[in-house]
Amino acid sequence: MSSLNRRQFLQKSGTGVMAATATGGLWNHLLYAGGNGTGSTTLFESKFGVARESMQKILQIALSKGGDFSELFFEYRIANLVRMEEGIIKDSSERISLGVGIRVLNGEQTGYGYTNDLSFEKMKQSALTAAAIASSGKTMKIANLSEVTRDHKMYDLINPVHELELTSKIDAIERAHDAALKYDSRIQKVQVRLSDEIRFVTIVNSEGLLISDARPQVRLMVNATAEDKGELSTSSWANDGGRVGMNFYKDKTHPEELGKRAAEEAILLLSAVNAQAGEQPVVLGKDQSGVMIHEAVGHPLEADSNRKKESIMWDKMHQMVANPIVTIYDDPTIPFMRGTHAIDDEGTFTQKKMLIEKGKLVGFLQDRLSARLMGDEPDGHGRRENYQCIPIPRMANTVLERGDSNPDDIIGSVKKGFYAKTYQGGMVQPSGKFTFSVNMGYLIEDGKLTQPIKNATLIGTNVQILNEVEMIGNDMGFFLGTCGKDGQSAPCTAGTPTLKIRSMTVGGQA
Amino acid sequence: MKNVDKQLTGLAESMVAYGKKQGADEVQITISEGSELSIDVRMGNIEKLVEAGSKRLSVKVIKDSKVATASSSDLSKETLNKLMDHAIQRAELASADEFSSLPESQKITADLEALQIYDGSITELAVEKKIEFAKKTESICLADERVKKSYGASYGSFEGTFYLANSNGVSLAYPRTSCSCSIYLQSGDGDNLFDDGWGDATRNLSDLMTPEDIAKTAIHRVTRLIGAKKIETQNVPVIMEPAMTSSLLRFLQQCITGRSIYLKQSFLTDKLCQQIAGKNISIVDDGLLPRGIGSRPFDSEGVPSQKTSLIEQGVLKNYLLDTYASKKLGLPSTGNAGGSTNFYMEAGIHSQEEIIKSVDKGLYLADMIGQGTVPTTGDISRGAFGLWIDNGELTYPVAEITISGNLGTILNQIEMVGNDLEHKDSIEGPTIKIAEMTIGGK
Repeated sequence: MSSLNRRQFLQKSGTGVMAATATGGLWNHLLYAGGNGTGSTTLFESKFGVARESMQKILQIALSKGGDFSELFFEYRIANLVRMEEGIIKDSSERISLGVGIRVLNGEQTGYGYTNDLSFEKMKQSALTAAAIASSGKTMKIANLSEVTRDHKMYDLINPVHELELTSKIDAIERAHDAALKYDSRIQKVQVRLSDEIRFVTIVNSEGLLISDARPQVRLMVNATAEDKGELSTSSWANDGGRVGMNFYKDKTHPEELGKRAAEEAILLLSAVNAQAGEQPVVLGKDQSGVMIHEAVGHPLEADSNRKKESIMWDKMHQMVANPIVTIYDDPTIPFMRGTHAIDDEGTFTQKKMLIEKGKLVGFLQDRLSARLMGDEPDGHGRRENYQCIPIPRMANTVLERGDSNPDDIIGSVKKGFYAKTYQGGMVQPSGKFTFSVNMGYLIEDGKLTQPIKNATLIGTNVQILNEVEMIGNDMGFFLGTCGKDGQSAPCTAGTPTLKIRSMTVGGQA
Repeated sequence: MKNVDKQLTGLAESMVAYGKKQGADEVQITISEGSELSIDVRMGNIEKLVEAGSKRLSVKVIKDSKVATASSSDLSKETLNKLMDHAIQRAELASADEFSSLPESQKITADLEALQIYDGSITELAVEKKIEFAKKTESICLADERVKKSYGASYGSFEGTFYLANSNGVSLAYPRTSCSCSIYLQSGDGDNLFDDGWGDATRNLSDLMTPEDIAKTAIHRVTRLIGAKKIETQNVPVIMEPAMTSSLLRFLQQCITGRSIYLKQSFLTDKLCQQIAGKNISIVDDGLLPRGIGSRPFDSEGVPSQKTSLIEQGVLKNYLLDTYASKKLGLPSTGNAGGSTNFYMEAGIHSQEEIIKSVDKGLYLADMIGQGTVPTTGDISRGAFGLWIDNGELTYPVAEITISGNLGTILNQIEMVGNDLEHKDSIEGPTIKIAEMTIGGK
């Protein structure tokens, strides 16, 4: 029982969690039969035969015991994965998920049922299961469904990866692999994964909402292991992607670049030493330090834990909680990012949400339930892993705004300290104690990066750390990760400039 | 004992036949079928109730030593046939790998009755009783005034069957159940708050800890941290209580898989038959432990479960192997496709009291958070909470510190092994005393 109620951010979701690859095109005629989130007939009507009248009936059955809100969340997802290891394409996989989750809200209570069988009888059974949460007997009449669409350009569906032939994916994988292997003769083993998915959702609810979304997600990841005189080292997963098509790896991040990045880290780690343990000034590099913001700020500002007065932030609204140079927001609408979505998993249009403005706490991330109970507005942060899960407030793309310091000046201001470069992930407890684990960093001596440092976990308390942010760089980088909360995972990003923390406890050697 | 669903057995077998007909050399089909109930109670009220059933069919095909896999929760014939066709086409684009093949059909000797991993009374127990169980657990905790808040108590139950058929003539199935209850609490004052809790999960209803015992453990864990402070950076002996030893073993388990060995992502690479730990250390994976939460008659490829000695008196004897890793490393499979089963460190002779008494100044480790474990090197660096030991006695609580060391070194520095091993979780260990680790603090 080691991770009961903790929120964590991992660079890589568990091995094999994200499974699966289709040879291109074979499913397409099914998928685009009017179900691309814009037509008047949803995929679930056209392909799976769920008539709109049935949806309406099920919504009504879900409210048959009382309850004040019912909702159906239909999901169809195809996720593909190709793996290269030890110089060969080991395998490819394709994972199909189909199902509906039926939710009934009754005050603060949630009843939930799900099924992967979309027949009317099975859906009815699940609806009755969810309905059992209520017992007032007052039956609310549900509104007529009317379809809403959001016109947006947040996903690149022009050259979707899930439609590509396997051979063109293998080409990108091999290029990443070869670049890593060629980087240095000490690179022994290289792993490359290309995962892609297309996820169709349709949400209908008792207020008459009917809305659909079709979200692509792509990620290319490389990991390298180096060996020198019996010493081994492994890089973190160099990766990039988002809600993009294959062009991303042509126009933005080349597969070779990811391979080289992984190899470089593995080689540096061969000569890395342990950190000096104890409190010291810490500089967080721009590329991946969003992990810290995600844990220290993002999770504590999700509305559910504040509504329940569990988060250390619940009673601090409109108070100064950070150094006035700190401004933090979450924006699910940034085009093409891993954490981006046009509507959330409750059908709410997403929007940029300011959390901390010049040091002052100004907002929580809301879903429908918490917003209603707190007298706030839903803001598009209600997300769920899949149809088997209820929506909960989650981050999307969390950003600490650029400051005005030159990154070199930030490093230059530290006489002796620790510089964090790549990460394994982070974790936070509701009480505000959080950690982040650095895979590779550097010792800072006299304002310069010197000795590479391996595996160091840093620990702090969020209310303290936010006041210890002393300098903010004029640069910006994004960490791509998978966030875990209440047993559900969700793709996220977190962005930060180079940051200086006055002092933090670093794990290492005494 | 629940009967297996003949229809699902038939589906698995017919998909094997279809795959062969479509040109695959070898086909493996598995179906996971199950139903779950989960209840969340918070501050005395039901917060969430989930009840549902699901099925997923998974495919593995091998053609000319090339592999592809697939799975679907849409079990319509049209989808499944297409899924199989795609997999066979995709396999052709993978690289030939001489180590890829399905296991031969082997006789499953485990007696399901003796294994005791299915208990019908779990599903028969009325939902109201399950709600009551969670409510009672929480109310006992909330009655303790040192407990500031409950994040909620959860009760869960599961019943499901795993089906497997392959082109070597294997067709197997086994049902299992589980029930669980957990609670998570907050203590402390102002901004100096602490979280901890406890939970239990078992295959049989009668094995589940009572609400009283779960509450008692959870209260003890969260209240012992109240008023915790940071301490100085230093090297000291560390005592790990069983839950912390389990956490350490979870990391060891990652490092001892065949896959991490052939990928050279383990500090145990090339160490087979070497003394890698003290003579007082023995580590076992036992898939046949009666009533064990990790027990199963066979693994996810149909290889019979067994009891495997991994580390015997400090000597590395074996790895956790599936069929692929076993062929690659030239060792027999240990029936660990799908992971470890009941993985544990064998008990020693010392009582926990005796172990604490033996430490002059040191840390009694109570909780760890964060990642910070690297299988390739064995390095550990994690956030930690605990109790300070002074003169053989537990004194004040400590928090917001880090604990660092190296698993390879630690295995040789375990000075005492406790006699308090329990088989509750799928990874378990007794209390241990480590000669020295580094505390990062002030």
